[in-house]
Amino acid sequence: MVPIGLKMPIIVECDHVSHWFGENKVLHNIELCIEAGQIVGLVGPSGCGKSTLLRAIVGTHPPKKGTIRTFCYNPGQMDHGLDTVVTRPGRDRGIVYQKYTLMPFLTARKNVALGLKLDQTSIIGRMNLISWPSLCRKHLQKADEFLDKVGLSYAKNLYPAEMSGGMQQRVAIAQALIMKPRILLLDEPFGALDEAMREELNKMLLRFYQENLVAKAAGKSLPYTILIVTHELNEALYVGDRVVGLSQHWDWASAGHNSCPGATIVYDQPALVFHPDDARKFDGLSQQKEEICQALRGDSQKIV
Amino acid sequence: MIRQPIKKSTRIILGIGTIVLVLTFYTFISYRQHSANPDDSTIPTWHQFVDGVNKIVTVNPRSGDRWLVVDSKATAVRLFVGLGVGVGGAIFVGMLMGCFTIFEAAFIPILSLAAKVPPTAILAVFFVLVGIGINLYIAMIVFGLLPSLSMAIYLSIKQVPDELIYKSYTLGASHFEVACNIIFRHILPNIIDSIRLQIGPSMVYLIAAEMLCADVGMGYRIRLQARLLNMDVVYPYLAVLAGFGFSVDYVLKRIQAKICPWFLLG
Repeated sequence: MVPIGLKMPIIVECDHVSHWFGENKVLHNIELCIEAGQIVGLVGPSGCGKSTLLRAIVGTHPPKKGTIRTFCYNPGQMDHGLDTVVTRPGRDRGIVYQKYTLMPFLTARKNVALGLKLDQTSIIGRMNLISWPSLCRKHLQKADEFLDKVGLSYAKNLYPAEMSGGMQQRVAIAQALIMKPRILLLDEPFGALDEAMREELNKMLLRFYQENLVAKAAGKSLPYTILIVTHELNEALYVGDRVVGLSQHWDWASAGHNSCPGATIVYDQPALVFHPDDARKFDGLSQQKEEICQALRGDSQKIV
Repeated sequence: MIRQPIKKSTRIILGIGTIVLVLTFYTFISYRQHSANPDDSTIPTWHQFVDGVNKIVTVNPRSGDRWLVVDSKATAVRLFVGLGVGVGGAIFVGMLMGCFTIFEAAFIPILSLAAKVPPTAILAVFFVLVGIGINLYIAMIVFGLLPSLSMAIYLSIKQVPDELIYKSYTLGASHFEVACNIIFRHILPNIIDSIRLQIGPSMVYLIAAEMLCADVGMGYRIRLQARLLNMDVVYPYLAVLAGFGFSVDYVLKRIQAKICPWFLLG
């Protein structure tokens, strides 16, 4: 399948981002641009700072050095739209974590509608007994549409405790997507799921990519830009149209450092795009997998 | 095996059986006591109990009141006003401490110290400061309840996963909305559980204060009748107190099940 291409407007830009916790240097000089419509798989060895980079983009742990910006864009225009410098979490970035993904006290549809409620109304506005009930109904209808999109209309009145891990993750994705974020950030979202459920959710991401292709062909804005952090290389190659490798094993000595200054991007290449109905085969990807593994281990030069 | 499940019928039989066992034991020691001394009033017979209950529910010829009614009313008003002020204050202080580190740093030392002072010991101070009106009892309950309840609420908030708070911000929530719509709702069942645990201690503080300072109320009547060895009145009062505490606890449990159905699923 043909990928969306590399000439789309930038949605997220990490500009010379470094981060450390006391003496522990985690990220070093990360330069990463994510373009509209991309599904980027971020891989790397354990403890290399994948989640730290994701938290920096979310805004919960802004980088100690460098800047992260998010941009909005208009379809058909290559120039950047309004930009936001990330200093705190904001509604332009959706996040789905591996655990604690949903509010336990809300049903699935209320969880999905929560963002609309928080974003479009205030506590005082919700006391208006004339306008609030009708607005609330609209929010719930919209939530139902998104639950349908992730295939969970039948579970709309279930609480998270009554749902399986996979169902919770799908509701969490709908919860984030209803806000129409500039980018959806997934922090090892399927790590705790069984293989069958993981594959089902991977196919859901591939369907999102299909919607991007349809939107691009129609000249509309691309609805989904996704950064997925995963320790599963196969998953990154399967769902992503681009794979970024982050590793602390790089040739920092020749860059003039006495000790490792933190992980940096050692691999950044397009990936083969799968169709959701394609069989999940990785035979043709063995060479790319080997390249990524070598880059992550520091056995080769950076491939960016 | 530890925690092996049992049938519901077995559970009910065991619960009722224990109560029957205690009543049987009481009947036995009462019988023994009255065999030795027929005029004994420290361990009343069931017949004496009937007389005692009649005494507290009928109009007293000297005071013109029904003891149980006036005492229950006085104690209930003191308890509920004290609980209302104490719980409201504890939620406010606990939420501030749990949500904002500046209040956490400011309040934890003073609350830790206050929690170590027995409320009954500080009764003398309240006696001087607020007199012997209803304020004294409210102050006793609030002083006894607020430090521990606000610390319990603070600790519950610390258990709320950071991820939920971060996610709320990405969904467009303000700080106030995160506190009210996310954190408060998340810990509401824990708050109700903590209040349930505080009902007993609150009654202890109130009854102790009434025993020392009141001229009406359950504590006052128990102290007075105990001094006269009228245990046929004291025991029914204790039963009423137990029933009252049990009822409040049951109502709170029902409220929790009604407004936090998700909590029972976890």
